Amino acid sequence: MKGKGKMFLYGGIIGLVGAILMKLGNPGNMGICIACFWRDIAGAMGLHRAEVVQYIRPEIIGIIFGAFFISYLTGDFKVRGGSSPILRFVMGFFLMIGALVFLGCPLRMVLRLANGDLNALVGLGGYIGGIFIGTRFLKRGYTLGKSIKQPKVAGFIYPIIGVVLLVFLVIKPAFILFSKEGPGSMGAPIAISLALGAVVGISLQRSRVCTAGGFRDIILIKDTFFLWGLIGIFAFGLVGNLVLNLDTFNLGFADQPIAHTEHLWNFLGMVLVGLCSVLLGGCPIRQTVLASQGDVDAGVTVFGLIMGAAFSHNFGLAASPAGVPPNGKIAVIVGIIFISILAYGVVAETSKAKQKVGLKEAKVNA
Amino acid sequence: MEEFYCVFSFQTVNHALAFEKMIKEEGIEVKLMPMPRQISTSCGTAARVSCDMEEIIKEICKRRSIETEGFHKIINKNENLWFSKFMNKKKKD
Repeated sequence: MKGKGKMFLYGGIIGLVGAILMKLGNPGNMGICIACFWRDIAGAMGLHRAEVVQYIRPEIIGIIFGAFFISYLTGDFKVRGGSSPILRFVMGFFLMIGALVFLGCPLRMVLRLANGDLNALVGLGGYIGGIFIGTRFLKRGYTLGKSIKQPKVAGFIYPIIGVVLLVFLVIKPAFILFSKEGPGSMGAPIAISLALGAVVGISLQRSRVCTAGGFRDIILIKDTFFLWGLIGIFAFGLVGNLVLNLDTFNLGFADQPIAHTEHLWNFLGMVLVGLCSVLLGGCPIRQTVLASQGDVDAGVTVFGLIMGAAFSHNFGLAASPAGVPPNGKIAVIVGIIFISILAYGVVAETSKAKQKVGLKEAKVNA
Repeated sequence: MEEFYCVFSFQTVNHALAFEKMIKEEGIEVKLMPMPRQISTSCGTAARVSCDMEEIIKEICKRRSIETEGFHKIINKNENLWFSKFMNKKKKD
């Protein structure tokens, strides 16, 4: 029980930080949202031109620094990679498309729920559904393969990206775009965002809180250990909101900040996110933390997320409070089918390899 | 409460599932569990087995080409927690 209690408290830190950042100026129900924040960063770099969502989110920089320093100090910083990088990139890409149709990563989904947004409950159903589909592939032999040791210098790429982002954020060069209105113009004070981002990065690195892992383990090995992290995020997020953000607490479907009420697409968007997350072995926040502690594969996944965000806005896939555009609906369906085909391709190959091993074994026994 | 337990760790969840299936087929007790934090920063899956089965299971893995990452003895460090310190103190009193 002590492990689960710890997990609950670490999750609680993240939920609480979400409530505090929202109080201090972050957009509605978006105290922390890894998908939205990477999307804002993609916008700030000019990779997409959606003028209301362009900002270098200090929380992301904080998470990178927090996870990097704590892993370096504790000896957890290990540079590994080479496990199906292009599949990871593509899955990160489609994960982001799903997230931007729902309007949030799994973490924001929980934070939305913790502030009364019941659309997130529909999203949660989809997320669990997507994870369920993913576990079917896992059971049948899906794997992205082993990672191997990489040159140590590769592990410093993300911390360096963090430094570069911080420099851009502080000196605001003309080529970096900052929203003048909309969610991208709203943010808690930079220093506080940075510090609380680092707290989240450290908590996640120490605890391994993982939204996808929580549901995956329930389905696959009937274990609730990681789920307690999620429960902690929700419980502390809820209490934090009731104390700090009571004026915005709104139980229901309608009039929720940066959300829409198209249930089918909230559901299917999160099916895509769940499917990609479980096949990748972690949701966007987990990928960001892993990338910061030397996991080069997770680093490639995050590049996929960024690219997915850019395409989402350039191709008109991303939803808005007005609803989900037709292109977004098509992209989600295409994404679910395409990612399933990729996973099936992997399964087909591993089962072939298994048959070979079986034959060899039979020969040896004979 | 027992003071230690033993697990096999794996690089992928898939390897853990294959391990569980085959080791069960050999009639050995095994239980999948989340990877203990002491071994890894991953949120993957480990397999808990009886500590004295180490060599037998390693032999089976070799024979049946099951990939494992390592075998670990996990020691419960309850004494580090303030409440177990408190409880122990109470017992002594």
